Amino acid sequence: MTVSSPSVNGDPKIAGAKSRGHLRLLVITASEDLLDGLRRYDLWGRVGFLDIKRRYRRTTIGPFWATISLAIFTAVMSSIGVGLWKQEPAEYMPFLASGMMVWLMLSTMITEGGNMFISSQHLNRMRMDYSILAYALAWRNLVSFFHNLAVYLVIVAIFLPKLITPTILLVIPGLVLVAVNAVWVALLLGMICVRFRDVQQLIATVLQISLFVTPVFWPPHLLTGLTRLVFVDLNPLFAFINVVREPLLGKTPSLWSYLVILVVTLVGWIATFKVFSRYRKRIAFWV
Amino acid sequence: MTMATILTENVGLDFPIYGMQRSLRRALFQSATGGFINKKDLQHRHVTVTALTGLSFQLSDGDRLALVGHNGAGKSSLLKVLAGIYYPTSGQVWVDGKITSLFELTLGIDSEDTGYETIVTAGMLHGMTQSEIESKIPEIEQFSELGEYLSLPVRTYSMGMTTRLGFSLATVFEPEILLLDEGIGAGDARFTDRASARLHELAKKSAILVLASHSDDLIRSICNKAALMNSGRLVKIGPVDEILSEYHIEKARSEPRATAG
Repeated sequence: MTVSSPSVNGDPKIAGAKSRGHLRLLVITASEDLLDGLRRYDLWGRVGFLDIKRRYRRTTIGPFWATISLAIFTAVMSSIGVGLWKQEPAEYMPFLASGMMVWLMLSTMITEGGNMFISSQHLNRMRMDYSILAYALAWRNLVSFFHNLAVYLVIVAIFLPKLITPTILLVIPGLVLVAVNAVWVALLLGMICVRFRDVQQLIATVLQISLFVTPVFWPPHLLTGLTRLVFVDLNPLFAFINVVREPLLGKTPSLWSYLVILVVTLVGWIATFKVFSRYRKRIAFWV
Repeated sequence: MTMATILTENVGLDFPIYGMQRSLRRALFQSATGGFINKKDLQHRHVTVTALTGLSFQLSDGDRLALVGHNGAGKSSLLKVLAGIYYPTSGQVWVDGKITSLFELTLGIDSEDTGYETIVTAGMLHGMTQSEIESKIPEIEQFSELGEYLSLPVRTYSMGMTTRLGFSLATVFEPEILLLDEGIGAGDARFTDRASARLHELAKKSAILVLASHSDDLIRSICNKAALMNSGRLVKIGPVDEILSEYHIEKARSEPRATAG
């Protein structure tokens, strides 16, 4: 062991390089983090799975609790919705159930995204690709959604088999779009919330209101004019709900919804990449 | 064995402290431990604490370095910089060799997970595939001597048991550079003989070891170099006995006043 010589210290030729002979710099860039993290699907698959397992450890029916609460909610809310908006029960019940399923997935992804770095105290104990947390988050919420989806499909197949058409396969690209966006949402909100702790509360409030102004309980065609433009056509949450819910009801989602999602995906990922590149190094200090 | 190297060049680390109340700020100013609190930044929205300043040193194969210094001297911060957890705010750290760090008693992601789950998760977090780490499980079972406990949640383990699991894990990672913090329990009164035996074995296997500890016995039995730190600065690097006696002289001198830097 020697104190490093001055010639090594201030060599301008090697400034900015990431490796010097055998030596490497202890830095992970944003793109390395995102790509190396994505490649570790075994790891984030496992982390996501363990998260679900942990949540329901010592319960008997586990993740199906979410399904049961959703079923009770649908049964009770349907009786009100049918009366309020003069809907056919056979049409309204699957509409409400599928809409709530997607809403639960989206809102959980957003809430957990805001909490992602705050709740990850282990970030301060080891060097890791942070994106793994975001991939795990998206994955475990998809898994939870599949629990609900399985029950939904069984019930619909028994009582309303006409809703099951080949169109239902469009649910797959819909979920892919949800997952792709969940990753940037988790990273961006995770960074913002861990730095500015008020934002988490703000997100909870916004989500609560969004549930009522987004067509989950009520059919979108009831609105017209400016309110429709704002709360339906330009509402990104509606676009995501639409591309997953419509196939579950035997319908094809509108092209407009895909267009909105395309814009959201591009803008979201570009913004997230910029913020992540700039502030990735600081996250360990914020936790 | 491959050559392992750590080279730090003028490394500095400023910690941002967020959400400080005014009263808490004043309290920090008067605190006896810790690094420097930057006055100039007080005019801005947040306070920064200078945890490390101008560290330059090089470690190579066979170096077993003990970091000594009182609480807040920067030992843990330096370890976290060497582990790549904190990025230095100035200067650079160059490394050759696989780094394994054992800092705190929670090894996996959540202490609700069982010992077996933790082993696999920790192994995968360390870059191994699931089958690679699973093939090491018999070795870990044998080395940790935890038996049936490995099927129980890690939160039910005693400190000594967690430490043994941690060392067993670190052993199968085959670290070239091993970073250990006193937080792992080394030098603690509860630190069991068996855990201590594991630590010695682990230290033998790695090319470079950096250990932060308050236990003179542990340092003398494992390390061959020591670095005295004070207020985020590297005061001196040298033979263990020399550095330890210097540290005790300094400690005796500063204790009555209990001031830092």
